[in-house]
Amino acid sequence: MAATVAGRVANLCRHFQRSFAISPPSVRQQLPRPPSICSSPATRHAATLHTSAGRRGLGEFFDDPENWGESTVKSGAPWTAKQLRTKSNEDLHKLWYVLLKEKNMLLTLEQESKRQLLSMPSPERMKKVDRSLRRLDTVVQERETAIRLLQTGQERARPGAWRKNVFGKVYWYRFREYAIPWYLNTRYKRKRFFTPSFVNPYTRLSLEKHLRAKVRKARLEKQKSKRLDEMFSKTSAKV
Amino acid sequence: MAKRLIFPFYQLGNPQLRIFRPSWFLTLVRPGKEQPPDTVQFRIPMEMTKFDVRNYLQKIYNVPVAAVRTRIQYGTNKKRNHLNQRVKRPDFKVAYVQLGQEQTFQFPDIFPEKEGKPVEDSAEGLQQKFMEDERQRQKPDPRRGGVTEWFGL
Repeated sequence: MAATVAGRVANLCRHFQRSFAISPPSVRQQLPRPPSICSSPATRHAATLHTSAGRRGLGEFFDDPENWGESTVKSGAPWTAKQLRTKSNEDLHKLWYVLLKEKNMLLTLEQESKRQLLSMPSPERMKKVDRSLRRLDTVVQERETAIRLLQTGQERARPGAWRKNVFGKVYWYRFREYAIPWYLNTRYKRKRFFTPSFVNPYTRLSLEKHLRAKVRKARLEKQKSKRLDEMFSKTSAKV
Repeated sequence: MAKRLIFPFYQLGNPQLRIFRPSWFLTLVRPGKEQPPDTVQFRIPMEMTKFDVRNYLQKIYNVPVAAVRTRIQYGTNKKRNHLNQRVKRPDFKVAYVQLGQEQTFQFPDIFPEKEGKPVEDSAEGLQQKFMEDERQRQKPDPRRGGVTEWFGL
């Protein structure tokens, strides 16, 4: 029974392979098929299943030759973060390069169409690729953060601290690596991470200035909205 | 992404610094001045170096690279806006890549004239476009899901 099932799976895989071999391999499909369609041990021969075009070299900077001269090119939806979260790190790494090549292709197409004073075919593809790239990046960062939190408990990838400068401003200082300890580093020691006591009255003043500006801005906003409300209530009353 | 990357401080014997997920995008452009047949022209990000271009093409695209030359193209600031202020077009870096292993490259014509496509300005083209529009207009609303028009509001 098991042998017949394995045989059927192998047959199916062969079918897949044939159908893929007939259709020209295209990088245009935004969604590369999941890499392990037929990865059961009974069908090891199907490991040659290739769906991406890896042989074209500089040709990968251009669209499929059958899409040349078309005014619209079909494309799928961008990857969502939810879809990407189900993928392994290895898959994400591969997908990054697929998207990178796609974007290079689109940039080349855009530049060439600009040069020939033509409209770019399906310019929405650029946005889709951009979004996929950004989402992929966020997913990888999420994973990195999770691992860091588990292993070291650090919240940030680059540690830092709140420090005060000479003018009494508090800011987030990001730590850097140095080759020598800080007490030997004259350039580091030249930086002043403290506020002298004679600056204190001025910090008070600057805070006051900031608060005044904030209040004034809010008041202006309020007045403006009130005025607009009045204007539009009048017009609506007329009608 | 590779932008704003902070690498660990390099000391002798440390492992080589590597970029995962590079966010550098190249644009292959048609050379404005005629180039030798083995030279390919790219627009590359400003922060990319010759060595980066070589690694990028060899590792990601599997293209043999013999030599890379770069220059920075000054974007013109001749243009003026409506307040007569200068408007600067951004600079960009240009890379000339010579292919190895006696490979040659010719920029293909990626906007060929299709024979089936009618010309926009001719009477036939206009009529065809008009017919297409009309056909689109005659189609029932797909959101109604095939329900007849006289039914409902």
